[in-house]
Amino acid sequence: MTLSFFDQFMSPTYLGIPLMALALTLPWVLYPTPSARWLNNRFLALQGWFINRFTQQLLLPLSLGGHKWAALLTSLMIFLITINMLGLLPYTFTPTTQLSLNLGLAVPLWLATVLIGMRNQPTHALGHLLPEGTPGPLIPVLIIIETISLFIRPLALGVRLTANLTAGHLLIQLIATAAFVLLPLMPVVAILTSTVLVLLTLLEVAVAMIQAYVFVLLLSLYLQENV
Amino acid sequence: MESLTIHILLEEFMRFDVLSWRAASFFFTASSLHRASWQKTQQMRESYNNMQILSQHLLFRRISRVSASLVALCRRARRGRDKGALCSKNSTLHPSNMLSRLVIVSASGLKSSGPLGAGLVQASRSLHTSSQSLAPVPPLPEKGGKVRHGIFPEEIFQLLYPKTGVTGPYMLGTGLLLYMLSKEIYVINHETFAAASIGAVIIYGVKKFGPSVAAFADKLNEEKVAKAQEVKDLAMASLAQAIEDEKKEQWRAEGRSMLFDAKRNNVAMLLETNYRERLHMVTNEVKRRLDYQVALQNLHIRMEQEHMVNWVEKSVIGSITPQQEKESIAKCITDLKVLAKATQARATA
Repeated sequence: MTLSFFDQFMSPTYLGIPLMALALTLPWVLYPTPSARWLNNRFLALQGWFINRFTQQLLLPLSLGGHKWAALLTSLMIFLITINMLGLLPYTFTPTTQLSLNLGLAVPLWLATVLIGMRNQPTHALGHLLPEGTPGPLIPVLIIIETISLFIRPLALGVRLTANLTAGHLLIQLIATAAFVLLPLMPVVAILTSTVLVLLTLLEVAVAMIQAYVFVLLLSLYLQENV
Repeated sequence: MESLTIHILLEEFMRFDVLSWRAASFFFTASSLHRASWQKTQQMRESYNNMQILSQHLLFRRISRVSASLVALCRRARRGRDKGALCSKNSTLHPSNMLSRLVIVSASGLKSSGPLGAGLVQASRSLHTSSQSLAPVPPLPEKGGKVRHGIFPEEIFQLLYPKTGVTGPYMLGTGLLLYMLSKEIYVINHETFAAASIGAVIIYGVKKFGPSVAAFADKLNEEKVAKAQEVKDLAMASLAQAIEDEKKEQWRAEGRSMLFDAKRNNVAMLLETNYRERLHMVTNEVKRRLDYQVALQNLHIRMEQEHMVNWVEKSVIGSITPQQEKESIAKCITDLKVLAKATQARATA
């Protein structure tokens, strides 16, 4: 069956049953539950080590109130990284290419940080709207600019993830199509294109991991400002 | 028998709705585990060690048999749906008999097989709610199952070896691939290229970083073990040291009597010295007092003597009258004159 380039981003259904829930929850199966044994197999050991190190690194700059977010942020990171990496396999659907999902993750979490800041330390939270050392006449303009930047944050978070992943997937499709079409016509050019494709795949692997990390990191930064 | 079963299995696999087949197999495995697990725990524990290799082989046989019978059931159901319900007189394919047999066969097959069975027992522990589930479960194997070319389990090769030899599975794979390509079940399109590139990246990553990651994971476990071992070693060393110290103390305790003797000697000497000192002091004191008495007596005698001499002198001098004194002086002068004359005569003669 021929695919148009945007079919990969359609929400998957099967016989009319939407499979989005499966696509979001099945990656959970890939991670084994930590067992009650003292010495585990290699996979569990690595998983435990990674989660511990990541949480420790993420929570270093946060004060004690932010430590409540540890489980949420680490699980969000693992979720995003798994979904992004699994999406690089052929014929798979990547939920994070859907803007609805990313905004659905970004807006509530960002809003939570803002509300926490406003509730617990309103003066300090509002103080972030004005950087230190601004000259007098610039203050009104800067406050407006900072407020706009504050409200753009969730949009930026969601759209950044969506755009990066969507663009990457589209590029892979396009360059793969180019290589496929060129193969009977000009094999050498097709080989060059395939080389570009391999490099792009490498880049996409990196982007998948980095974008997930950036999402979580920015959320932790927003939390750090407000907690 | 096996090759026919496998052929049927694969045919149906190709034609069947993949999702519903998978759902059905998952469902009957799960239900059979729950029902049969508590019956089978005892049996499994006894026979586990003996049946390991054989039971892996048996497992695949059973699975293939089970799936073949399931496939036949579904085929019959479909035929029944097409033609109207027709119950065959053949009891082996009768649906009500077969499902229960399926359950028991699959459950025991899965439970008594080697690592797969142990893994299933461990994974389904949350479903075991009766008290029989408190019995110890078979341990998980240390290493994962052996695979060839990274994805194909070694058991498939062992399964096919008796009938098709060494090249059997490869022929099967090639045949499958060519079948899927020629019948356009799998179409080569741009996604193939994308799959090839991501496959190349994954294989490169695994080959390059696999051993180091595995070594790192092993190191994590080694460190854990080393820490516990260190604690144990320290405890043992300190206990051994304590034993040594105790032995030394016991040896020291034997020399106690010598120590006491020496101390006793010391004390005796001190006492002796003290006694002699005091004796010496007493002697000195007594001598001093006696000397004093002697000196006193001497003094008395001397004083008496002097007194007597003085008295005698005084009385003698007092008894000399002036007449006597003049006579004695005149006599002295005459004596002196005589002497002078005598001397003068001696000098001139």
